[in-house]
Amino acid sequence: MRTARAVAAQGLLLLSFVGAQAPAQEARDWLERMNGAVEELNYRGTFVHVLLDGTPETLEIVHRNANGESGERILSLDGAGREIVRQGDRVQGILPDQRIVLLESRRDVSPLVARLPTSSEELESHYEIRMRGNARVADRAVRVLEIKPRDEFRYGYTLWLDEVTAMPLRSQLTDERGRVVEQIHFTAIEIPADIPATDLEATIDTAGFTTLRAPESSPSAGANISWRAVVVPGGFKLSVATQSQMAGSDTPVEHLVYSDGLATVSVFIEARETKADVGEGFSNFGSTNAFSLTLRGRKVTAMGEVPPQTVRTIATSLVDE
Amino acid sequence: MTEQINDQISAFIDNELSADESALLVRRFERDSEARARAMRYTLIGAAMRGELLDPHPTILRQRVAAALAGAAPISARVRTRWSERFARPLLGLGIAAAVAIVAVGALRVLNEASFAPGAVATNAAPLQTANDPTPQPSYVVPQEVDETRVVTPPTLLTNYLIVHGEYASGLTRTTVNSNVVGTAVESSERETAAAKPLPVGQEGLE
Repeated sequence: MRTARAVAAQGLLLLSFVGAQAPAQEARDWLERMNGAVEELNYRGTFVHVLLDGTPETLEIVHRNANGESGERILSLDGAGREIVRQGDRVQGILPDQRIVLLESRRDVSPLVARLPTSSEELESHYEIRMRGNARVADRAVRVLEIKPRDEFRYGYTLWLDEVTAMPLRSQLTDERGRVVEQIHFTAIEIPADIPATDLEATIDTAGFTTLRAPESSPSAGANISWRAVVVPGGFKLSVATQSQMAGSDTPVEHLVYSDGLATVSVFIEARETKADVGEGFSNFGSTNAFSLTLRGRKVTAMGEVPPQTVRTIATSLVDE
Repeated sequence: MTEQINDQISAFIDNELSADESALLVRRFERDSEARARAMRYTLIGAAMRGELLDPHPTILRQRVAAALAGAAPISARVRTRWSERFARPLLGLGIAAAVAIVAVGALRVLNEASFAPGAVATNAAPLQTANDPTPQPSYVVPQEVDETRVVTPPTLLTNYLIVHGEYASGLTRTTVNSNVVGTAVESSERETAAAKPLPVGQEGLE
């Protein structure tokens, strides 16, 4: 009898363990599906992007994936109507407010950072991931996924994922106190089987605009980049170290990328004498925070979708090894 | 963890609590590991914001705990304690400080401890102030620190950085980054004003 009780108790323990693991695994599966969906699906839609000051801005997005190659165009329908086009081997940032076109080479980075950590424990030691229920967005049924950071060095996410495709139809970034710092909300979306390549062509007439392009050279991954951050929040790992010419910079720029699998921080290091000098201190573009300073005669900027203390921690801990 | 205790911890690190309040909070640290961990994280964030990560030891927190224990004497004097507790008390502060130092290992990953040699990293590191320093101490709570150092950077180069950065973003944040490239299309003067605003810490949610 005692043995039977012990077996039953062990069984219950096992069941409760499995019960606790199953929802976490389900949340993790949805996260994996979402990560694939944003890259692999064809979609076009309109979404509202709410900036830091609470001002909503309407944007149009077209994303195309054909033969494993993806391209994207995002156009702001408000304000100055900026547009970004990622297609083929280049990224084009069109800034009508400054009559400037920024032309950059596209990096082949998908094998490096656009993937979630393979180890569930690795990700979940820094984030708590769980499903939060069902809802409806843009007239589609969605599952709500919540990702809560376990410290103040990264933001949290709430994602409303399309029940059928796992495409995020709404997303919120939250700070360490759970307050929303930025959100994206699709008001309409179409997910067709195909999208013509012509839909990715820039819609803004750039005649008379100044084009800033990098001198001809390809990013040299694995170049002898001796800069490293010696203090980084737990879970952030160096995933890329390259040196390349960039539009608007006179000298090659060293670029480090640190990622914890969800959040990414870029560190740009360039000569102090650069013509387009960068100021020092904090700045931000929506939820992307940046911190710039001069270190050992070089201009350093760290930026990422992380709280300000994270970019500053990484930037100030850089050493030239 | 309630908003109230978070505020108390911030005030404690900023040396703005009364001696009695500090003593109560330190007693809470003894039994509440989450509060202890939060105190450590606030200290580290403050250190990061002030460029003080050259010193990975929670000096400020140690000072606050030591001061709170010293200031708590009148309260504890009312309680008749056993000799073992009396002798243990001075060690308690060290124990708590050690405990919070252990938490630091989890919060920040130090990749190369040798690089913590003075002057090795941040060139703008401010010296640590002691609890007895009469100079008013800046707050260790993040928002104030952010406001003080915020400047406007030339938009074009930073926008270009953002475009390149977006290429490396995960599927989770790439649309956000690219929206930030086009979504900050305000006139220059407006942008400068917007960039000079405090970060959203303390701001109500957008919903």
